[in-house]
Amino acid sequence: MASSETGGAQLRPGLWETVNERYPGSMITKSEIVPLARLDKPLSEARVAFVSSSGVQPKGTLPFDVTHPVGDYTFRRVPSGSSPDDLEIHQLKYPTDGALRDLNVIFPITRLQELVAEGTLGGLTDNFYTFIGYNMDPGLFESTVAEDIAAAVEEEAADIVLAAPA
Amino acid sequence: MARDVTEAVKPPRAVFVPFRMGHHFGTPFHVELQRRIIMAAFGLIDDAIESPTIMNLDVTWARARREGKEIEAAAAETDS
Repeated sequence: MASSETGGAQLRPGLWETVNERYPGSMITKSEIVPLARLDKPLSEARVAFVSSSGVQPKGTLPFDVTHPVGDYTFRRVPSGSSPDDLEIHQLKYPTDGALRDLNVIFPITRLQELVAEGTLGGLTDNFYTFIGYNMDPGLFESTVAEDIAAAVEEEAADIVLAAPA
Repeated sequence: MARDVTEAVKPPRAVFVPFRMGHHFGTPFHVELQRRIIMAAFGLIDDAIESPTIMNLDVTWARARREGKEIEAAAAETDS
């Protein structure tokens, strides 16, 4: 694995071990390596999708079930032309104090729109995709949310997927 | 936020930021930092030579938070 060494240390060391001890079997580890895919066009012509486990969703859509003990295995489409004022978060599993003031700290929709407007990015897919990160069954998550979002992103002809946890 | 989790998942390319949960793109209204994180990720499209590659962004949470507060203080001064 290639890794750069500058920058700050992880604020909470040993997080993978801690969570896996508390919720055995919930943490994913992989042995297979996904090969690098290359972009065959400049970034300024690329179509970008954003996928996030923040649970950000359009106002008025069904809230994620953040209290279910096994998790919520659904996802939401977030129109990429949305304003942060069109969106909301129902979350218990991560601090939302920053996001409630500026959604871009967890869901940088405004920043991505600006990058398109100034020509740095070619465009955005019609929708971004969100789910919640609290899922205790990795196999079920992979066969539902992950595969469904992958299919949706492919259907939207994304050249690049920017994915971020919460 | 969690480098050890990132290492376990082995994404083809990733940018690690040592930030609080819920703040993966920085602090409120810190547009420059938010953009820098996004562009660092896009930079790995060409710069990564093997999978997985994890890049540490050269920033600390303390600095991000301090700069964020300075930005908000300056904005408040402008508004008053």
